[in-house]
Amino acid sequence: MKKKVLALFLAAMMALAATACSNNNSGSSSGDSNSSGTTGESTGGEVDTSEHVVINYMTLGDIPTNQTDAALVELNKVLTEKANAEIALRWIEWTDYLTQYNLALASQSGDLDLVVTATDWLDAWPNAQKGAFLELTEDLLKTNAPKTWEQVEAAGHWDDCKLDGKIYLIPEDTYTQWINHGMFYRQDWATEAGLEDGIHKFEDMGTYFQWVKDNKPDCIPWDVQGTVSGGIAGLSDAWWQSHTDDITIDGFGVTLFKGESKDDPYHISKYLLEGDEFVNFAKTMKEWNDAGYWREDVLNNKTDTRQAMYEGLSGADQHHTETYYTTVRPEMDKKQPGSDVGMYYWGEENGNLVKMVTTHGAMAVAAQSQNPERALQVYDLMRFDQEVYDWMNYGFPENYTLDEETNILTWNDDYDTTTDAVTFNFWGGRNDEMQHKNSTYAWEPYEELQAEYDEIAIEYPYGQFVPNKDNLPQLENLSAVANQYMPQIAFGKTDDPEGLVAEFRQALKDAGYEDAIAEVEKQLAETYGE
Amino acid sequence: MKASKAVTADRPSQHGFLYRLNQNKVLLIMCVPAILFFLFFSYAPMPGAYVAFTNFNYNGGIFGSPFVGWRNFEFLFTSGQLTLLLRNTVLYNLVFIILGNIIQMFIAILLNEVACKKFVKVTQSLMFLPYFISAVLVGLLVYNMINYDYGFLSNLVRSMGGDMPKLYSDPNTFPAVIIIAKLWQSTGYGTVVYFAAICGIDASMMEAAKVDGANGFQRIRYITLPCLKGTVIILFLFAIGGIVKGDFGLFYNLVGTNSVLYSTTDIIETYVYRCMMNTFNFSQGSAVGLFQSVFGFVLVMVANGVVKKLDSDYSLF
Repeated sequence: MKKKVLALFLAAMMALAATACSNNNSGSSSGDSNSSGTTGESTGGEVDTSEHVVINYMTLGDIPTNQTDAALVELNKVLTEKANAEIALRWIEWTDYLTQYNLALASQSGDLDLVVTATDWLDAWPNAQKGAFLELTEDLLKTNAPKTWEQVEAAGHWDDCKLDGKIYLIPEDTYTQWINHGMFYRQDWATEAGLEDGIHKFEDMGTYFQWVKDNKPDCIPWDVQGTVSGGIAGLSDAWWQSHTDDITIDGFGVTLFKGESKDDPYHISKYLLEGDEFVNFAKTMKEWNDAGYWREDVLNNKTDTRQAMYEGLSGADQHHTETYYTTVRPEMDKKQPGSDVGMYYWGEENGNLVKMVTTHGAMAVAAQSQNPERALQVYDLMRFDQEVYDWMNYGFPENYTLDEETNILTWNDDYDTTTDAVTFNFWGGRNDEMQHKNSTYAWEPYEELQAEYDEIAIEYPYGQFVPNKDNLPQLENLSAVANQYMPQIAFGKTDDPEGLVAEFRQALKDAGYEDAIAEVEKQLAETYGE
Repeated sequence: MKASKAVTADRPSQHGFLYRLNQNKVLLIMCVPAILFFLFFSYAPMPGAYVAFTNFNYNGGIFGSPFVGWRNFEFLFTSGQLTLLLRNTVLYNLVFIILGNIIQMFIAILLNEVACKKFVKVTQSLMFLPYFISAVLVGLLVYNMINYDYGFLSNLVRSMGGDMPKLYSDPNTFPAVIIIAKLWQSTGYGTVVYFAAICGIDASMMEAAKVDGANGFQRIRYITLPCLKGTVIILFLFAIGGIVKGDFGLFYNLVGTNSVLYSTTDIIETYVYRCMMNTFNFSQGSAVGLFQSVFGFVLVMVANGVVKKLDSDYSLF
């Protein structure tokens, strides 16, 4: 008796849960048909903006405490006037951002419209494959974001945004930026260390670190965190890039697959599996570790390396060129006058430098968006309307003066970036035409670097390649293997580097690395012919 | 709604049930919040476990995504790590359960013997506090205590002329750090449970023992401890269900990416996290959760069966 009631009861609960889910589904599919209905209408010609709408704009960053909210009010006035729309901000904070970001997309219910994304540092493709983004048809784009359509079309970049022939992303392809990583070091110290011309190859860093170790007792040569984004990639990828011609293929989340060289990009390098270069890396890192270039407990270190460098407690910091000339160099000039911070970029000594993928910044429209057309209209303004652009990227006009001729933007003397700046983190459609030259940036060293880059850098060869991870079941275990061995190898946390490398290689093979390489090569061949 | 309809529908045959329902309605009403809680947060989402067998996509949702069978479970078994992970997870939990309960009981008994009520209250509160500190902070605290270069303990040891062991590089001693941190966090909480159980012991028994001339130790040995047996068994049965589930927050924040320590500190959760952090596969994550739940369910059933056989008074059901 009791059991029967219980069974009935459970069955009812199951039914309830199932209907709840199917309700959701039908709700969302009707939402879809609605939106496609309106799409049909709008492609008829005129864009209907009679209804005032709120466009939810999702980007990454900590919730701002500066003037962003005040600027948003002003920005929305402009947007209301120009497109009868306003935007609401939705932040994905930096803590565990990738998880939060993917979860927000997975649980969307019409509460997202414009989504800042990226194919290299955010999971744009996996999310597109799972249906998180709306397909952007040619009509939809041409009608609602005509300027964007034209600009990207003229550059021939729509192909980089396609998955199975359908467009899902709008690339930030007309914004020049260099996001190639390197090491920031103090030239004043480097000079004393005998590196008058600066650091230009990987091994020079050792000389520099040793000098810091010997001469600056309060300073750790590189007070790095032993996390993947902190130091592990900084060392292992740096060595890999500076000692081979291999080219990184984005989109796997873990750096295991690199093309052989720019002349042979569609074969995967076996650097990790065979040869001496990787062993040399392990040995050198063991030496560096023993010499104390980083903390003994580096793998658990929680220091903010950049802050430590500002305070003179770390001799170096690792990040990309943009960070160098917009942030670290200017800050160091202020906080450590005379430090004359330089940047050694990975691949400098062997000229192995690749331009970034055009979708390093991109904008997508959420699949469940209630107003995809309006979202695209707003996007077009964000990218091409100077007034909107300035509000989003520079904030209150009272805070700066703009020299019309040189296009140099100078901040007022009392301008304080921590309280007066705005942070919309609009990384999905910045546009060189609209940009101003920020007077606080270190343009001189940047332009020097840029000139070098322009000479050697090649185009990213895998712009149209979207890895199909369904056919790469080895990835999870490979990822675990890499995350287990790489930290130890990269920070020399072993008594026997050669042995550890051999162990790592065996573990990679056991986890199916060779099959995975073959599969990636096959997928590359499918994309690029051959 | 549907459930109550289903019940009323076969009213004639349910007379006994309804009668008992009526008899115990006050008790039942008091149980309603708990029943609702488990209904909505445990039973209702259960069909969703199906996601572990699908290749999840956002448009299809849980029940519309393609079915892939056992594929999501495969990576766990092909990794070659499962034995190590299970061993670590289970061993840590055993230590937490056994050591934790002994210490909690010990402190509860000590507190019970203290006459000054104010002292007991303050101690209890202070011991409870670590329970509310997030694992992230615990990780930071521990790091700042024991890191080799600048840690508080390291400096202390050095200033006394000693040499601090490199704890973060030694997989053999690091488990002790984890266990101490865990006990520090959880002892206060468990103590309260035991303390409550001790307070529930019939005072007349104690008085009778006193009159009979039993000293403090004898009272503990012959009255308090036997009276706590039921509580111990129930807590043990509850704990054993989670024996293959690790405390991700604690382990991740204490160990992080320090793979030197993995051989003795890697648990199922942290391993899965490393697998998933690069691929973000819901289905595989759910598969692991399901595996752990089923494993825990079987363990609870077995343990409960054993307890029932030995002494049916103490079994859960």
